[in-house]
Amino acid sequence: MSIAVGDNIPPWEMPSVSAEKMKTMAAILRDPNPLHWDRDAVAALPLGLGRRTINQGPLGLGYIVNMLHAWQGPGCLRRITMTFPQVVLDGDHVVARGTVQSLEGGLAHCKVWLEHIDGRHLLAGNATVQIRQG
Amino acid sequence: MSHPLPPESSITALVGHRFPGGRYTIAHWENTLLTDCTGAEPLPDGQAHPIALFHVPFLGGGTSIAELFALGQAESDLSIMIESYDWEFFSPLLENLEYDISGGITLAERRDDDGRIYDRIRFDFELADSGTTAARSTITWHFTRNTL
Repeated sequence: MSIAVGDNIPPWEMPSVSAEKMKTMAAILRDPNPLHWDRDAVAALPLGLGRRTINQGPLGLGYIVNMLHAWQGPGCLRRITMTFPQVVLDGDHVVARGTVQSLEGGLAHCKVWLEHIDGRHLLAGNATVQIRQG
Repeated sequence: MSHPLPPESSITALVGHRFPGGRYTIAHWENTLLTDCTGAEPLPDGQAHPIALFHVPFLGGGTSIAELFALGQAESDLSIMIESYDWEFFSPLLENLEYDISGGITLAERRDDDGRIYDRIRFDFELADSGTTAARSTITWHFTRNTL
């Protein structure tokens, strides 16, 4: 499979972000933040988010990693930098996307992001991926 | 409810803070649940999902999310915002492999963006396998002040 600058990475979709998975994540991470497991705590914020828990940052990033793994195989990730301009909420339908920005010595430098189905960019960053041989 | 603003000097003094360090082994059960949370199938060859690079440095480095919140004098668990993550992998993370973990605080500064005061704190960690660096994690959080 040849890769060229400007290529779109095949998207990876999460049809409905799960509040239950957030609870499991909170336990694994030992993360006490109630925003990830208490809908009432989120509703009490002056942010207008309603009664929906907020996905952990690493989980949203994980969807992007899953996209990269599906594209170039597990173990391909060399570096990822990520910002979190908007929150991901339980029940959200999100899609991980990316494009190849440059190629160098067997590596692909990519722009990656997590997009809400309504088009908003929720996470945005860059990834360096080892290109699969053969 | 209004919270007293921590003295700026108490924030900037965090630069250079080192965590105790230690060792951590990603267990199979832990990686299985973690990977499942992302919606992915288990990875081959004992690979851990790369998002383990979020919590493994904390737990293996002798700290915790709760302690990081406390160090930054967070007003509450709700007052922390993520600025960015920067993760480097020199080899895939693996289950059942003991990593040596070290880390500390490399940036702590007060910012005032049009009257919105917050403290910006950066945590850097390194995972090593038999003396060879396997991964690095840099996480920058904003400790917001009186915004909630």
